[in-house]
Amino acid sequence: MRYLTLSLGLAWLLAFLPAAAPAQEPPAQQTQDPQAQGQPGDPQTPQTTDQKIEELDQKIRVLDRKIELDKEAAAEKAKATGGVTADKNGFSIKSADGAYRLRVGGYVQFDSRFFLDDKQKPNIDTFTLRRVRPILEGTVAKIFDFRIMTDFGGGQTVLQDAYLEGRFNPAFRVRAGKFKPPVGLERLQSGADLLFVERSLPTNLVPNRDLGVQIAGDLAGGIASYQLGVFNGVVDGGIADADTNSEKDVAARLFFQPFIQAGGPLKSLGFGIAGTSGDQSGTAAAPGLPSYKSPGQVTVFSYRSDGTAANTTIASGSHVRIVPQAYLYSGPFGLLAEYASSRQDVTRGTVSRELDHRSWQAAASWVITGGVPTYRAVDPKVVFDPAAHTWGAWEIKVRYSKLDIDPATFPVFANPASAIRSESALAAGLNWYLNRNVRLLFDYERTKFDGGFTTGDREDEKIFFSRFQIQF
Amino acid sequence: MRKLFQLPLLLLALACGLSPAPAAAQVKLLNVSYDPTRELYQDCNGAFAKYWKAKAGQDVSVQQSHGGSGKQARSVIDGLEADVVTLALAYDVDAVANSGLIAKNWQTRLPNNSAPYTSTIVFLVRKGNPKQIKDWDDLVRPGIAVISPNPKTSGGARWNYLAAWGWAQKKYGTEAKAKDFVSRLYKNVPILDTGARGSTVTFVQRGIGDVLIAWENEALLAVRELGEKGAFQVVAPSSSILAEPPVAVVDKVANKHKTAAVAKAYLEYLYTPEGQEIAAKHFYRPRLAAVAQKYAQQFPQITLFTIDVFGGWTKAQKTHFDDGGVFDQIYGAGK
Repeated sequence: MRYLTLSLGLAWLLAFLPAAAPAQEPPAQQTQDPQAQGQPGDPQTPQTTDQKIEELDQKIRVLDRKIELDKEAAAEKAKATGGVTADKNGFSIKSADGAYRLRVGGYVQFDSRFFLDDKQKPNIDTFTLRRVRPILEGTVAKIFDFRIMTDFGGGQTVLQDAYLEGRFNPAFRVRAGKFKPPVGLERLQSGADLLFVERSLPTNLVPNRDLGVQIAGDLAGGIASYQLGVFNGVVDGGIADADTNSEKDVAARLFFQPFIQAGGPLKSLGFGIAGTSGDQSGTAAAPGLPSYKSPGQVTVFSYRSDGTAANTTIASGSHVRIVPQAYLYSGPFGLLAEYASSRQDVTRGTVSRELDHRSWQAAASWVITGGVPTYRAVDPKVVFDPAAHTWGAWEIKVRYSKLDIDPATFPVFANPASAIRSESALAAGLNWYLNRNVRLLFDYERTKFDGGFTTGDREDEKIFFSRFQIQF
Repeated sequence: MRKLFQLPLLLLALACGLSPAPAAAQVKLLNVSYDPTRELYQDCNGAFAKYWKAKAGQDVSVQQSHGGSGKQARSVIDGLEADVVTLALAYDVDAVANSGLIAKNWQTRLPNNSAPYTSTIVFLVRKGNPKQIKDWDDLVRPGIAVISPNPKTSGGARWNYLAAWGWAQKKYGTEAKAKDFVSRLYKNVPILDTGARGSTVTFVQRGIGDVLIAWENEALLAVRELGEKGAFQVVAPSSSILAEPPVAVVDKVANKHKTAAVAKAYLEYLYTPEGQEIAAKHFYRPRLAAVAQKYAQQFPQITLFTIDVFGGWTKAQKTHFDDGGVFDQIYGAGK
């Protein structure tokens, strides 16, 4: 634009200048005395064409610079005055000082789930809206956050998160409401950040969401972090909005990232231990015990229950979970592993027993192009843009997980003809991250069962998953 | 409820076995500084990190924030959590102290009025000095475009203004004539950037103006490292002002962050021979005699007067730069 203006200015000047203007004289003929040469703006000395061009050029440069400075000032003012933003992290409104903020986000997962060779117990091949979760979160008075997330997945409405949190210090935060107790490593990952379409088998043994109060904080610049809370207490894998007894669970987690400050290939190494402890008691109508699912979300283990006190297995005392866990993300590679033990006192009729169910998993991933794996999913370095011949990030993955039901469970507390004794699942697949907001997941998972059928073992579950996910 | 307190104890015991050997946590400092000190503190921060690691065995990371000095002081007052401020002039540190964040006696806590290095104000002109600018009176000639930032937001600009005023008052003898001189000078200023670095960009990168009134360090940096070699040259006026950019620990913030000790050490490091060498390499005039002598050749000989000519910073600020002050009168009238 500046050059167009300059050209027009020059054309105008040349059209009106006399033919024998001093500008056409060679520079060598001009005096070297700047005072005698005549300064631009000096009314007593006529300007040469070069001087006029220079003056015009300077005026244009000044105008350009003023526009530039105005834009910088406007940008700074906009930053200082807050306002509305829409970006890859969602849509937000904030006050000028940042003390008040509201963010609207969410994610939608459209899955397909196709079972192969399911002759013994046919399952339904289906498309499903696995998760439909609008999220409303924000900050009030600078240090108080809130989050509300509901899920409309599968045509049901479930309040997943509703909590308030005070950030008083990096080492001391207080959260109250409904949220994930700090136990399972994979469970603590957002549903939008999962490596596989479905979480692995240990997630069966840890709480999903519960109501309670928790303190948490990061110590030594994040080298260590802790969470400690008191919750109503839910069954393994459970989510609840009210308690069924007066006993409470305490949940705690210690996690270390020793190289987070030092950097290097082990910067994203994390390991820790978590657990819960409490007393739970059930009734024949509300036994207070879980059922466990296969990766295809089919219930494969449940306790005996016929609604009578004599024949229904119920929770009857201590429930302790211990979950050591670790991950490492280095270069394009990611590893995640956890072990879960859930020990629970149960009673059926006059027989009581402590049962210890155990599970573990190990998952590995390799971002083969265009991104960096993290605990919070892959951040693509380039986005999918066919016009630019960029294709986002691609990741391959493999996982093995196993769940062992305590042998003492059978036959008194669970029916071996319908409840499995163990399951082991091997999964592999491919993820395509088109950008931060859109991804496709493709998994194949084969699960072998021990027991769980009238004539012996339940047939293997072979399943193809796919997921189209949009997150904002 | 009997289990309520068993788990934390169990986890604690397990964690003791699992936890890594205790490592000294990294300390983070925020240095809020004025516009042209970016390169100086980049070097200082790296050198101090090594120094502090060797001395205290602690990792330290110093983050920097730069902008017009007055604006930076305002940001700290408004909540920017600086552990230290290294600003262009004492008045701006006083403003932070008046807000209660810094002890009122800050200037006596470190040597040389808490100014570990000095500078002055010079001219930067284009190759060959085509407009033959040699001294302050050349800046008021018709047709000379002078680049200088806004004294309302920039500490450097206030030094520029006072350097011009001090020269004129000495040459012409009265305040009225000095005011007339400075008024004519600002009529030749087509753009007021908010900070000294912005003015350097205007002059060097945008090619605007015939002369940049600049910090000596900024001018020498431009000659050595900006633009084509030989594209600019420094002109030393016959007299200028001795600029003493001060430093201070922001006590309330440093106490809150538990960084007071390392913040103090960071500022004291600026007075060490190593710190003074770094300052000199970035064209700041060192206080330490040995280092000053070593680098004497790179600094032009200029007769320097101090802020005391104006009765100190508080009086100078009130007279010239507060709303309705002399600068508002002359610049408002001139534009």
